[in-house]
This record gives sequence, C-alpha cells and structure tokens, in this order.
Amino acid sequence: MTQADLAADIPAAAAPGTVRSASGVIARLTARKAVRSGVVWGYIFGALIASSAVSYTRIYKTQAARDALATAYGANKATSALFGPAPQLQTVAGFTAFKIGMTLMLLGAVWGLLTSTRLLRGEEDGGRWDLLLAGRTSRRRAAAQALAGLGAGLGVLWALTAIFAVGVGLDSSVKIGAGPAFYFALAMAATAAMFLAVGALASQLAPTRRQAASYSAAFLGVSYAVRMIADAGLGLHGLIWASPLGWVEELRPFSGPQPLALLPIAALTAALAVATVGLAGVRDVGAGILPDRARGAPRLRLLSGPAGLAIRLVRSTVLGWWTAIALSALLFGLIARSAGQTISGSSATDVLAKLGATGTGADAVLGVCFLVLAVLIAFAGAGQVTAARAEEASGRLDHLLAGPVARSRWLGGRLLIALGVVLAGGVLAGVFAWLGAASQDSGTGLRTLLDAGLNLVPPAIVIGGIGVLAFGSWPRRANVVVYAALAWSLLADIVGGFSGSGPASRLLLDSSVFHQMTAAPGAPPDWAANAVMAAVGIGCAVAGLIAFSRRDLKGD
Amino acid sequence: MQNLAIRTEGLTKRYRSVAALDHLDLEVAPGEVIGYLGPNGAGKTTTIKLLLGLIGASSGRAEIFGADCQRRPEQTHRRLAFVPGEANLWPSLTGAETLHLLGRVHGSVDAAYRDELIARFDLDPAKKVRAYSKGNRQKVILIAALMTRAPLLILDEPTSGLDPLMEEAFRLSVREAGDRGQTVFLSSHILSEVEALCDRVGILRAGKLVEMGSLAQLRHLSSLTVQATFDGVVPDLSRVPGVSSVAVDGRVVRCHVRGPVAPLLTALAGANVTELLSREPSLEELFLAQYGEHGDQTPTAHQAGKAEIADKAETQVARHDAG
Repeated sequence: MTQADLAADIPAAAAPGTVRSASGVIARLTARKAVRSGVVWGYIFGALIASSAVSYTRIYKTQAARDALATAYGANKATSALFGPAPQLQTVAGFTAFKIGMTLMLLGAVWGLLTSTRLLRGEEDGGRWDLLLAGRTSRRRAAAQALAGLGAGLGVLWALTAIFAVGVGLDSSVKIGAGPAFYFALAMAATAAMFLAVGALASQLAPTRRQAASYSAAFLGVSYAVRMIADAGLGLHGLIWASPLGWVEELRPFSGPQPLALLPIAALTAALAVATVGLAGVRDVGAGILPDRARGAPRLRLLSGPAGLAIRLVRSTVLGWWTAIALSALLFGLIARSAGQTISGSSATDVLAKLGATGTGADAVLGVCFLVLAVLIAFAGAGQVTAARAEEASGRLDHLLAGPVARSRWLGGRLLIALGVVLAGGVLAGVFAWLGAASQDSGTGLRTLLDAGLNLVPPAIVIGGIGVLAFGSWPRRANVVVYAALAWSLLADIVGGFSGSGPASRLLLDSSVFHQMTAAPGAPPDWAANAVMAAVGIGCAVAGLIAFSRRDLKGD
Repeated sequence: MQNLAIRTEGLTKRYRSVAALDHLDLEVAPGEVIGYLGPNGAGKTTTIKLLLGLIGASSGRAEIFGADCQRRPEQTHRRLAFVPGEANLWPSLTGAETLHLLGRVHGSVDAAYRDELIARFDLDPAKKVRAYSKGNRQKVILIAALMTRAPLLILDEPTSGLDPLMEEAFRLSVREAGDRGQTVFLSSHILSEVEALCDRVGILRAGKLVEMGSLAQLRHLSSLTVQATFDGVVPDLSRVPGVSSVAVDGRVVRCHVRGPVAPLLTALAGANVTELLSREPSLEELFLAQYGEHGDQTPTAHQAGKAEIADKAETQVARHDAG
C-alpha cells in the first residue's frame, strides 16, 4: 500500500461519511464535464439517426426503389470499405445502420479519445489534479473515479442516442422496434466506450495531452485501416476481428445481431480501464510512463522568426494530417478498380450520383472517396486557424508582438503556412491515390488524379478563410466557428445528397462548400467555381487579417 | 530636446462603460527607474498593454521615445523589451531555444551578458519549458528581456514566482540597467522591491493615477508614526493639531502626525518621556493610506481603514524593534 493510500485510509476509519463525499469529488467533477459533452453529442447522434431514417422513407418510397438501392450498394466494395458492408438496404433499419453507422462509430471514437485525454491528461497538465490529489484520495482511486465520471458521460450519450432511435422507430413509416433501436444505440456507443478507455490509458502513457491524443488517434487510424482492408472484398474478411471498429461492425445491428461481439468490446474496455488505474498508481503526477524528453540540445534552425516558430510548432500535427491523407488516398486508389467493376446498371450510377459522382467505374468510386480526403484537408487547414488562436489565447503571442513584429506579418506568415499545408495535402491526395490505382492498373492518369487532389483544396480555403475572419473579428469564438463551418458543410453534403431534389435540399446542398466542389476524378474539376471559392476564402482571410491588426489582443 | 522615454496624454481604455484606465498623464525621462504600483485590477497591465500597442486606446495617446505606441508599434518595440507577468512560453521549446528565438525576434542580443545572466539566475537552458517550474519560466523571460540591453525595459510584476535569492539577482540586474542609462518601467505590487529600486513611484487606483512623485515627495503625504513611553501620567494627545489615531496601551502611546511635528513635541515636552520612537512611513503605509482614503466611502469604513494602517505601523515598529 502506498503512502497516499494510507493517508486516505486513516481518516476513512475515523469519519467514513466525510471521506466518501470528499473522494467522490473527482468523479463528480469529471462527470459534470463528460456529461455536458455527452448531452451535446447525444443530441447530434440522435438527430443524425432520425434524419437518416426519415430521409430514407421519403426518397425510397416503393419497395422497388429500395430493392434497386440494395442491389446497387449491397456488393459495392468501395462503399463497403469506407462505410462498412450494406446487407439490408431494402429496409429502413438496414439503410440507417449503413448510412450513419460508420460516421457515428468514428464520431464516437473521436469524442471518446478527445474527452478522456482532455479530462484526464489535460486536467493534469493544467495542474488542477495536484489540487485534487492533495485531498483525501490516492492516485489510483482518483483515476478510477475519473473513469467513473467518463462512464457517466458515456451513459448520457448512449441514453440520448437510444431515445432518439426508439423515438424515430415509432414513426409509422420507419417502424423500428424498441429492442433493436436500443441495441443499435448500444453499438454506436460501444466505440465511444472503447476509445474513452484508449484515451485514458494513453493519458497514463504520454506526458502531455497532445501526445496522449495523438497516440489514441493513431490507434483509431490503424483500427479503421484494418477494418477497411477486411471489408474491401480482398478475401481478407477474417481481419475484421483484428480491429475494434470491426467488432462494432460485427454487432450487426438490424441485420442478424451478434451480441457475442460485445465480449471483445467489453474485454478491451475493461482491460484498458484496469491498466489505466494500475499505471496511475505507479507513475508520478504530471509525468507519463513513457519517458519525456524534457532535456535536449537546442535545435535552432527554424527559430529565427515568427514564421519559423510557427512551422516548428505545427510540424508534428501537420505531418500527422499529411500521413492520414496519403494513406487514405493510397487505400482509395487500391480499392477503386475492384469496387468500380461491381457497379453496373443505371440504379448504381444513380446512387453514386446522390453522393456527387457522375462518372462510372473506378473514377466514380474515387470521386465519392475523395470527399473523405476533402474533409481531412479541411481539418488540417482548420487546425492552423485554431493553432493561431491558441498562441493568442495563451498569451505567448505577446512575446512576439512586443518585439518588432507587425501583426500582419505574424498572421500573414501563418496563413501562408496554412495555404501550404492544404495545397500539399491536395498534391499528396492525388499522388498517393495514383500510386494505389496504378498498382491495380486502374488506368487513371497521374494528371487526372493530381487535378482531383487539387480540386479538394478550395473548400478547405473557404472554411479556413471563414475561420480567419472569425479569428479577426470574434476571436474567442474562432474555434467554434471554423469547426462548425466544417461540420455543417459535411452534414449538409451527406444529408442533402440523400434528401431528394426539393428546394429545401437544394438549399442545404448549396450551403455546403463540399457540394460546390465537383466529384473529381468522377467528374472534371470546375476550375472556375474553384477559383471563386479560393477567392472567397482568401477574401475572408484578408478581411480577418485587417480586423486582427486593429483589434485588442484577447486572452482566454 | 531629447524625447521622453514614455509620455502619455489622457490615455484611456474603456471596456464598455468601465474605465480600466482613466486619463493617464505620465512622463518618464530616459534613464529613470520608475515604479508603478497598484492593487490587482488597478489598471497596471492595461497601461502596459496600451504602451505596447497590444490593445487600442479608447482616447488619449502614448509615445515611447517620441514614437506613437498605437500607430507605430513596431518602431517603438525596437527600443524596448517586455516581461509579462504570466510566464506563458512554448512548452515544447527548451530554455535555450526560447532565448534564441526571442533574441532573433528582437534583433539585438548581448551574448556575453546573456550568458552572465543565465549563470546569475542559475537557469538550466537545456530543459524544456514544459519541465520548468513557474520561477524558472519567469527567469527565461527576464533573461530574454535583459539580454537585449533595450533602452526601455517594461516589466509587469516580473518577480512573481522567484525565490528570495533570485529576487536579489533581479534587483542587481535592474540596478545594472539603471546604471547603464536604461529606462525601467517596473509595475509591481511588491512594495519593498519598488522602494529598493525606483527613483520615482506612481500609484494607480481603480484606473486613475492617484500619486506620482519621488519617494521623498510621497512621504509628505502620509503621517509620521510616533511611539512614546511615559514614566508617570500619560497626557491626552488626541487634541494636539495634526495628531490622529492615538492608541494608548498602558504607558505606551502610539499616534500618527500629519504636517508639522512642533505641536506634538510641545505637548510631549510637558510630560516625562522615557522613550521616543519615530519613523518615516514605509511605502506599504503610503500605499495603504492611498488605498484606504480612496477606497472607502462611509465614515466607519474610513475609520476601519485608518485602524488597519495603525495596525500595520505597529507590526513595522515591532519588527524594527526585534531587528
């Protein structure tokens, strides 16, 4: 027993009541924050499920239309690799599970890893745990309580998702039973549970929040890639059991449920939680298990001015995004040909068209897949805006601006770097998609795919430009604005694409920058529209830069 | 005529209806070491951010060496170095990397002096900022500012987190800067620090500069503290002109005298005084006198404020006696 345990136990014998309330503090504090974000994301999950189910019943009114959809998509290896298999598309439930399942799984995983690294490692980084650990608790107990708090957040997320799923199931046109709806919500919350635990363990291993989040994200990336290969129709479906996301897929909500797949999910979550609590007891507060390179010879090459500093600071994050973009593009290129061959008949083309692709075969498949790359590139660009805001909010920017550095020079330099990040992302997308496609003799040229890659850049410029405008005029809300612009564009593009062709869905689609982009290489890039988008984005950025030069610096 | 190091005219910063800084008129000659005192929230940091052009003035103007702080910040920044109160630095950089960066950004560095400062402040520059204590981070930004030998040093509560030994190293460095003819603008709420270092002191209260002058000038504003011990009957001193806060403890009387001391001496001459202690007020007492007079509205609170000053004076006396 450690000294801290003893310290916690002695008063426990004396006054059990007070101790219980004192030691519940960490659980309550963590729960309060986790529940708050669980509520928000529970609503988002629920709204996505409801809108997806309802839109299906509106668009595919007849059984014939639904059967056609099932034939088109059922065996499509591209969508299977991206979104998971689609076994029951002729039913509302099967369509909903397919349409929204993978998105919710990924959102849940990202929510889980960000929430737990923020509430565990982030709170510790901020020094707030020192205060709590000085109270009547031990490090192990504190970690266990924090996990309990995260569990409360997860419970709320699941409950809200379930309420929405059951609620929409009551609709006479949807008709999903309460049992299956609960089970579907459980499946959607399962990834969140696993990645909460992954983030918690990473928070013990890594010495900083950023590293903890990176380790967790890398684990998510590998899980997704393994699942993708398993579902790509390469005869490797057994690999599905090697990926936590694969386990969730094997729960098969609405299409032959396999509750046994809950076993590995529960086992992994429990094992990670136990390891988290164990490691929390053997490490120092504020340090990770993995060695922190706290000392080092100075590396001065980049540190000659604000722009060099910016490159040094964002380098590792940007390399992460570029790697994700390149690997995704490579995978898309690899599966494009075989996926394209399965598309035959007008109904398949029609379905792809709803996702924006107008060509046929491998190019059409790539056109759809490239939306994912566009999102990644936009995220990389948005991250540059939030990084600039973080410099200001923390007060570190004062050191630079109290020197002879003009504000326009500082922000202008960062914007050029951001532009470089998204342009290079586009080039990487094109080149690596070509490498994958060429290895399968898909017959799509490098030039075509490079164009398709660069075609992804203008939406990122628009979203980034909106972010810079917010940074200049509404700095404390800049992060919210830039990610809201991104999330809205993505949702509007996906939901709008499946919501028929009425004026409302037209409007919805038009509000999405991703919809303004053609589905190259499935369709030729519209360079005129791209130029307009780039001009709008750059115009916003310049306006933001002018506003920033004139306003007060604002901390958190 | 040589330009003033700092000159402000009616410098005002309003946040909505609240004036964080209200018509500040300030003149600092080159080579002066000036103290800028005030409680938290008085507007010290606001003043500094206005001088640096990090925030915009609602009205009025500010100049550093004749250049407008708001319109030409880069020009003024070439001639100054700044130490913020919060040592927020890039966690992933080491101390040495941070110093290199800030030196390159500023443009000029006295490398020999930098190394001397690193030794003086006992800083390990190979460590990452993330691994530094608060005091060590503070040392990094202090060294970064001092090593530039900028003509004007603007220091915003620079010693928070420093231990007494390092506080001494800081004072030495500021004196060196003063001896070299550098102007130092030292914002602080550590009164002994300002008392030890500064030629002139400005006192800020709720956004207004309530006093400005040399320590000698400011002392006239406050009373002298007198303690007399009597052998026999204790006279009533409370009616003596200029005397206030009379406290009788057995045969010991303590009081404050404002203005000429002659009436008190006359009163004391008639009694049998065995011991007489008198003392100039410390900056702390000056400060509290300001704080009490301008902070309290009701008469009772006013009295309470006075009593607090008396208490402070007593502890000072006690400490002096013990020493």
